[in-house]
Amino acid sequence: MGISHKAFEEQVLALLGSLNGVARRLMSIPADAEDLVAETVVRAWRARDSLENDAAFRAWIFRILHNTFVSELRRAGARPRLESLECDEAEEEEVQFSIFEQMHQPFLLWFSNPEQEFLDKLLREDLDRALASLPQHHRVVVILSDLEEFSYGEIAEALGIPVGTVRSRLARARGALQKILWQQARDYGLNAVPAALREADEGGAGAPRQATAGATGRKEKGSIR
Amino acid sequence: MTKQEIKCEQALRQIFEYVDHELGEAERATMERHLHTCHSCYSRAEFESRLKVKLGELKKDDPDATVRGRIKSLLDSF
Repeated sequence: MGISHKAFEEQVLALLGSLNGVARRLMSIPADAEDLVAETVVRAWRARDSLENDAAFRAWIFRILHNTFVSELRRAGARPRLESLECDEAEEEEVQFSIFEQMHQPFLLWFSNPEQEFLDKLLREDLDRALASLPQHHRVVVILSDLEEFSYGEIAEALGIPVGTVRSRLARARGALQKILWQQARDYGLNAVPAALREADEGGAGAPRQATAGATGRKEKGSIR
Repeated sequence: MTKQEIKCEQALRQIFEYVDHELGEAERATMERHLHTCHSCYSRAEFESRLKVKLGELKKDDPDATVRGRIKSLLDSF
């Protein structure tokens, strides 16, 4: 059925901030990001007959953007970055890192909330840096879910993967992001880690505090109000 | 009819789907009943939700004028 020129233009301009924002987080050089957006718009216009309905435009054009990004990397022979696009689904079984699990102290509840304090002290730069450190396949799901507010169905459509994979990849990506934030907090002077926990923490960078690792047992025993 | 209840283990498995508003109506209601009675899971949901909001604040809506001008010219050429 396709889409009229006017409707296409309106949709592209309405999504331009998102397209450019996602491209900027995928490409390290701003000029490359701009080229990616331009190439995406050209490809989308050429493929406009494949758009089944206007309501699906956002996921459809982001799929074109992502495919363009992958093909540009392949063309440039960027092996290391490409490898980070190909994820190992076997890692799905790994225990997810969680800042909450590291910090939550039920017995401190009435006078302290360390994990919320950690969030309060997180700066925009901390989050930017952590997001940029994620492998591509993790970064893109976090961007689409948390920055662009895509549903799992839209992410699945945009990346050409099943919804179940979106769900598991997003969980792993968030675990990886939290691990980076946790390590950053240590590496940059522990600014976001409350003093009580800094004193208690004897482990190296990123080492989970084993005492809090058994999430389920601890929660079921000690946390019911 | 008896309302389904869940334990912490299942609540934690679904925590991101809850925060992302991806649970169906019945599952969401079950999760919320659990969160009302379990302070630890409630705190975890609050933490993940606040982190999601903070990440959302990284989004920049307005591309600079150069990008907008280039794409507008491109669209005009179609």
